[in-house]
Amino acid sequence: MGQSTPIGSNTILIVEGEALVRFDILAFFEERGWRVFEAEDADQATAVLDRRADIRVVLIDATISGRVDGLKLAHYVRERFPPTLLFVVSGGAPVPQEALPQRATFLPKPFDLHRVLRQIEESPVTS
Amino acid sequence: MPASTALLNRLRDVAVARPRAKPIRFVIAALAVAVVAALQAAIFGSSAPWFLYTPAVVLLTLFLGRGPGVVATILSAIGAALILARGDEPLRLTPAQWGASAIFLVTTFGLVALIEALRTALLDADPLREERERALRAAAEREAFLSGVLTSSTDCIKVLDLDGRLTFMSEGGQRVMELSDFNAVAACPWPDFWQGAGNAEAVAALDAARQGTASSFIGQADTFLGTPKWWHVAVSPIAGPDGRPARILSVSRDITDLRASEEERDRFVQLAEKSTDFVGMAHPDGRVFYMNDAARDLVGLTGADVTEQAIADFFPPEQVERIAREVLPAVQRDGHWAGELTFRHFNTGELIPVLYSVFPLTDATGALVGYGTVTRDFRERRRAEDAMRLMNGELAHRLKNVLAVVQSIAQQTLRTAADTRTASHDLSARLVALGAATDLLTGNSWRSADLRAVATRALAPHAEIGKRILLDGPTVTLKPEVTVAFALALHELATNAAKYGALSNDLGTVTLNWSVEGEGDDATLLICWRETGGPPVALPERKGFGTVLIERSLRSYFRGCVETHYRSDGLVFEMEARLGDAAVDG
Repeated sequence: MGQSTPIGSNTILIVEGEALVRFDILAFFEERGWRVFEAEDADQATAVLDRRADIRVVLIDATISGRVDGLKLAHYVRERFPPTLLFVVSGGAPVPQEALPQRATFLPKPFDLHRVLRQIEESPVTS
Repeated sequence: MPASTALLNRLRDVAVARPRAKPIRFVIAALAVAVVAALQAAIFGSSAPWFLYTPAVVLLTLFLGRGPGVVATILSAIGAALILARGDEPLRLTPAQWGASAIFLVTTFGLVALIEALRTALLDADPLREERERALRAAAEREAFLSGVLTSSTDCIKVLDLDGRLTFMSEGGQRVMELSDFNAVAACPWPDFWQGAGNAEAVAALDAARQGTASSFIGQADTFLGTPKWWHVAVSPIAGPDGRPARILSVSRDITDLRASEEERDRFVQLAEKSTDFVGMAHPDGRVFYMNDAARDLVGLTGADVTEQAIADFFPPEQVERIAREVLPAVQRDGHWAGELTFRHFNTGELIPVLYSVFPLTDATGALVGYGTVTRDFRERRRAEDAMRLMNGELAHRLKNVLAVVQSIAQQTLRTAADTRTASHDLSARLVALGAATDLLTGNSWRSADLRAVATRALAPHAEIGKRILLDGPTVTLKPEVTVAFALALHELATNAAKYGALSNDLGTVTLNWSVEGEGDDATLLICWRETGGPPVALPERKGFGTVLIERSLRSYFRGCVETHYRSDGLVFEMEARLGDAAVDG
């Protein structure tokens, strides 16, 4: 937070089906001055991504319901928006590294949002 | 032995048994005649010249044989003639004296011949008698032997007449038949002793025997004391002098014990045949010689000739080597091997997980004669294990998600609470509500929860259900996804009501109504929380976390419309959602 970042760089999209969890993540980032977008499933997420080109971080629950699961969505994001910081979370079995998109971080649920934030802050800003 | 026979025997022994050398016999004969002649001359003179010679010749012939007898006769005739004649003219006899001498000679020769015949008869009688005695002895021995055999035999040996009536039963037979007196059954019809099918068999066997054919059967008959027994019976004809069957022999053997052991063995056979486990046996070289029906069915060999198969044919190639390298040596070393292997179905090739148990089969001397196996179809078990693994995974998944929900509720509670004391209180209450909802879900395998039960569990800690909180609505079964959020929302509503609304005084009530409108895909679930009797309601300056949570989470989980009306007479909260999104089974 201390570093100088371009306008719009602190923008995050939360793709999480479990609303109670989503609200907490939303509140956490909002409190820290982030612009937060939320989506319950892949369709909502792609709609947000298409609309907002400035999203820097995408956090996806791998187990979201819908036509496209979280892991596929993560790959889509990586291809469409290569610089995006990607977090894949899941309460299910851990997703193996080779199944993840490049430079994506897997976090088993429940996870520590402070750690996520620290990792975001330590990543080089590319856009 | 009569006295006369004893005398004869002694006579024979003296005369015959100890024959003397020929010259001695002739010398004895001559001397005897000389002695007789001297006695004759001294006692009788010429008055009875042949008187003493005749008995002498008889005795000499009897004891010394014909030769000495003839010599003695001639010497006697000469001796008598010498006495008759005058000393100076020994050959001067009267014609009458010559005639008498001739008659003496003839009659005495005749006597010698007769005595000789008697002597020969005596000699011949001896071996004949011995032979007869030997024969008698042999016959007695044979009879003793046969009667010993009959007595000792534990078979029941019977002789029947051609009408099938008992005429004889061996002693041993009477023992096994527990019969004390044969006369009690003599002449009884033999087939009457047989019960059931045995009777017809006995009649048939008799018919066959009358035709000259031997036959046998197995039947059941009680002993005379009523002990039930099984018998093996051989019935054969006994030929008469004309070669045709004259009588019938029946030999029954008590096979009750044998039959009992056969029945026992039969039960063991059934144990293998009827087992639902795979039961099989193979020769030491691996060739199969037995498989029960369950075994054939399991691997697709129903009705096939199993002897064409070998142990290795039952396994996929990669396991065959293990059988040879590990399993069979272990069986020979340890006497047993059991473990999980895979059979291959002979027709479909399906791999069938089995619990394979194999052991050696040995003969009476302990030598290996084959291998036996009792193998269990493990597919069900594997499926259950897979299901269990899946369930464990699912459980871990749910647990982590619940923890994530707990984490988020804790975070939000802490974030919005005025102080840690409030935070602690609120968080505890929320976790209790969460726990109650989770309880209902786990009680139903996380498949669904009854709306009324969820409401009751969530609201009961706040006020008495049925008095301050009234529940009314049809049976609706909530999806697991919405249950936790619904329970939390009710908890927040009740908490607010207790703080500011109808449950904050002693009079107010809360009514929770729910209803279903429409049918099928269009069916709608309407839920209404209405507070009455509370203090006047004012629009809150700032919505607390609870209120936000209620509206947002319900909107999200139920995908429905949610509205809160801050009416002056009491708060009204309404939600409308597609029934299909909220409930299972429409």
